[in-house]
Amino acid sequence: MTDARTGRTRTLAIALAALVAALVIAACGDSDTVGGGSDEDVQTAKGGKASGSVTISNWPGYIDPGKNGTVNEFEEKTGISLEYIEDVNDNNQFFGKMKPLLDQGQSGGRSMFVVTDWMAKQMHDLGYLQDIDYADVPTVEKNISDIARESVADPGRKFTIPWQSGLTGLWVDTKKAPGIRSINDLFDPKYKGKVTFLLEMRDTVPMVMMADGVDPETASKQDWLDAIDKINKATDSGQVRRWTGNEYTEDLTAGNAVASIGWSGDASLIGNPNAEWRKPTEGCTIFTDSMVIPVGAPNSPAALEWADFAYQPEVAADLAAYITYFTPVDGAKEVLQKSDPASANNPLIFPSEKFLEGCVAQPEPPGGPEDVQEVTDAFADATTG
Amino acid sequence: MLRRRLVPYFLLGPGTIWLVLFFLVPMYFMAELALRSGTVLTGFQFSWEWSNFSDALSENNEQVVRSFYYSGVATLVALLIAYPLAYAIALRAGRWRVLLLFAVIAPFFTTYLIRTIAWKTILYDSGPIVDAFQFLQLIPDDGRLLATQWAVIAGLTYNFLPFMILPIYASIERLDLRMIEAAKDLYASSRQAFLKVTLPLTAPGIVAGVLLTFIPAFGDYVNPLVLGGTNQSMIGNRIQVLYLNEGNYPEAAALSFLMMALILALVVVYIRFAGTEAFMGEEVEET
Amino acid sequence: MIAWLRRNGLMVYAGLAVAYMLIPIVVIAVFSFGETPKDKLNFTLGGGFTLEYWQHAFKIEELNDSFRTSIKLATFSTLISTAVGTLMAIALVRYQFRGRRLSNLLIVLPMATPEIVLGAALLSMFVNLSVFDLGFQTLLIAHVMFSISFVVVVVRSRLIGFDRRIEEAAADLGATPVQTFRYVTMPLVAPGILAAALLAFALSIDDFVISNFNSGGTVTFPLYVYGVALRGIPVQVNVLATMLFLLTVAAIGLVLWQQRRAERLAAVAAEEKVVPGPVPAAPTPLGG
Repeated sequence: MTDARTGRTRTLAIALAALVAALVIAACGDSDTVGGGSDEDVQTAKGGKASGSVTISNWPGYIDPGKNGTVNEFEEKTGISLEYIEDVNDNNQFFGKMKPLLDQGQSGGRSMFVVTDWMAKQMHDLGYLQDIDYADVPTVEKNISDIARESVADPGRKFTIPWQSGLTGLWVDTKKAPGIRSINDLFDPKYKGKVTFLLEMRDTVPMVMMADGVDPETASKQDWLDAIDKINKATDSGQVRRWTGNEYTEDLTAGNAVASIGWSGDASLIGNPNAEWRKPTEGCTIFTDSMVIPVGAPNSPAALEWADFAYQPEVAADLAAYITYFTPVDGAKEVLQKSDPASANNPLIFPSEKFLEGCVAQPEPPGGPEDVQEVTDAFADATTG
Repeated sequence: MLRRRLVPYFLLGPGTIWLVLFFLVPMYFMAELALRSGTVLTGFQFSWEWSNFSDALSENNEQVVRSFYYSGVATLVALLIAYPLAYAIALRAGRWRVLLLFAVIAPFFTTYLIRTIAWKTILYDSGPIVDAFQFLQLIPDDGRLLATQWAVIAGLTYNFLPFMILPIYASIERLDLRMIEAAKDLYASSRQAFLKVTLPLTAPGIVAGVLLTFIPAFGDYVNPLVLGGTNQSMIGNRIQVLYLNEGNYPEAAALSFLMMALILALVVVYIRFAGTEAFMGEEVEET
Repeated sequence: MIAWLRRNGLMVYAGLAVAYMLIPIVVIAVFSFGETPKDKLNFTLGGGFTLEYWQHAFKIEELNDSFRTSIKLATFSTLISTAVGTLMAIALVRYQFRGRRLSNLLIVLPMATPEIVLGAALLSMFVNLSVFDLGFQTLLIAHVMFSISFVVVVVRSRLIGFDRRIEEAAADLGATPVQTFRYVTMPLVAPGILAAALLAFALSIDDFVISNFNSGGTVTFPLYVYGVALRGIPVQVNVLATMLFLLTVAAIGLVLWQQRRAERLAAVAAEEKVVPGPVPAAPTPLGG
């Protein structure tokens, strides 16, 4: 028995000693920085004649599938072979997955992916993206709508081409909770445990701020932290049932939730006929998901060709009708007026200016990187009970 | 003669190299990462940042306690469910034995995630199970099963049940039944025979089962993610959030190490207490 | 009635317990026949019965790709880890050598480490070293790594219960070590190795957490499900899961049937032979 004990102790001792030795060696050796992006100059993506094969990552549900879908159309028209992967499920998760590659200047074979504008900015700041010269994408330049051309995250659109935009607001089960018209209604104890919030910080926190009368575009860091505090209390008390990405649609479908903060284009995912998207009385946020070209993109000319293709009004019309979010392409509405008037008149696909009143583009938390990190951490802590 | 002595090293070689390269070395890198400081945007510098460990513990102690609680309960329930089942399959099933064994492992082949989502489908708020529970007054009329700790614990129990059943089954199956006969010959009742002969002899199986269930359950994050709500997150969820959402790699690494240390401590204490070497494979045949 | 329950109570309980274990599988299968408006699971069966998802089971390209990837990955992972692990088990059980205890510890550690730690640690290393491309290579490495320990444990438990006297008998009867290994040892240890291989295969196909961290751009079946779970799970996922389940049933059934045949033949042979010492215990399918 003593033998066994000393034997095991000796084993553990050796193991520990080895670990400590390795750490000491590491400390004395290179004290390099892991991560933090690259310091190299930002390149501009190569344009020009496109050919060959190209891989693009996008969010699920952002393309009309099948034989008559846009991907096939593109391949037939241009002869370029397009591999379209739907592996962007969440901005942070995608970032976490891609970061190790991007740090090394690689993109894992992708020539383009689609992330929300604020994430594009974060990636650009870290040197992970190439710039885009709109001269290389004439159709985009011609057809991009005025609203889409403006951007808080990328003023002047230097490294992004918008794919789709959408509104964040309230999805409400009109039979079970007809009275919900404002974000503050979600904090009503009457609905305890039956509401879900979005994990997307730049949607949820600004909307909570707006409901309390704070203008997100001029809010201070303290305003953000105060709103996060209110959210934290609601989470701890069980008022909020779950924090979700896209899966709030499941809870609405199954009747687990009567109201969710959610995105305007998700009607097709919610199997609950009583569910309806409502713009909160105090306003909403507008998000834009954009195409970006990463460093190490193997075939950026082909990727740019794809972006150009998607901005032709007929193609954009097909996409808009299927995806049910709003398109950044002028001319799509006119095409749909003839072929699919129901879609053309859907305010969620083609919102009027009046409809968009009070809606702001997703704001960034104010301050430098450390401040943004502080807000991000506070929010992340608040959302995991 | 020399060749004979070297044989075991050749046999061990490939596996050991693989484990050293792809288990120990990553552990080293994670240890190194745990001692860095910084943010995603500014990069991480190595700075003997021991505070990562204390921060990880103090900021996440709620989840640590909760993980212990959930996985502890799940393990206990699993043990209670598994032992009679393993006993029945090993000693009473006869020709149904293989079929039952197979039915026990079968769930394995449908992907962890899909199984858990299936439970979400079964337990949804307006579904039959919840209705039944409400009818039986096991939960209040506006109560629910999903997004509560019970759903998470039930999920953990279910998902790791095979890990509990199989070692216990193996242990019972190897029992020399003559021992039980001898006990009965010596006037022991069925209950006494079970408590004093069967149970102690199958202890190695129980130890193995408990460890193989508790350890993965402790670090699980899928069950809280799918079946839980806002107040059911476990250590695994926190590590995932720290790593992927906050980009706080050092604290994520520190928390992972803490978790490992806790588990190892538990394992050592448990094995010492249960007093069996068989799990560690110390026994070797006489050659 | 009471008496019947007393006698068979345990078996009734066993039946109930097993039924409980199979409930989700039944649910998965049932929902694969339910019609839904957008061809995605919507948690109700209101749409009615349909076979269309089974008819078009392979309609979704990404799903098929991910499925193929998973099968490919699991196959390679199983082959490598079973081979390597079996060798290790033999070494650990049959030889005394220095470093045995250390090896034991090394094998047990990965099993004691929660998957999320394994996944994150591996990622840290791959990120730092950038020798391997994040993708199929790294997934294979990871899967083999966590499978080895399980293979060793299963094969080892089988080897420990193995009666060496049979081998000695074979040697006495003039067999060379290689022949002994081929005709005596392997067949008797084979069920254990097979069980280990099945376990390794299941672990690989099932793995989600470690794969999530180390997959780069490669999508395995569980990763695909995780991805679409956020935006609506296509019914075909349930169809494929049910198919996979049925296939495994068939495979295991086949293996066991072979097993039964072998046992019966061995039993007949054993009755006719005179063997020094007691008759060996009949091999059981799961290395018991």
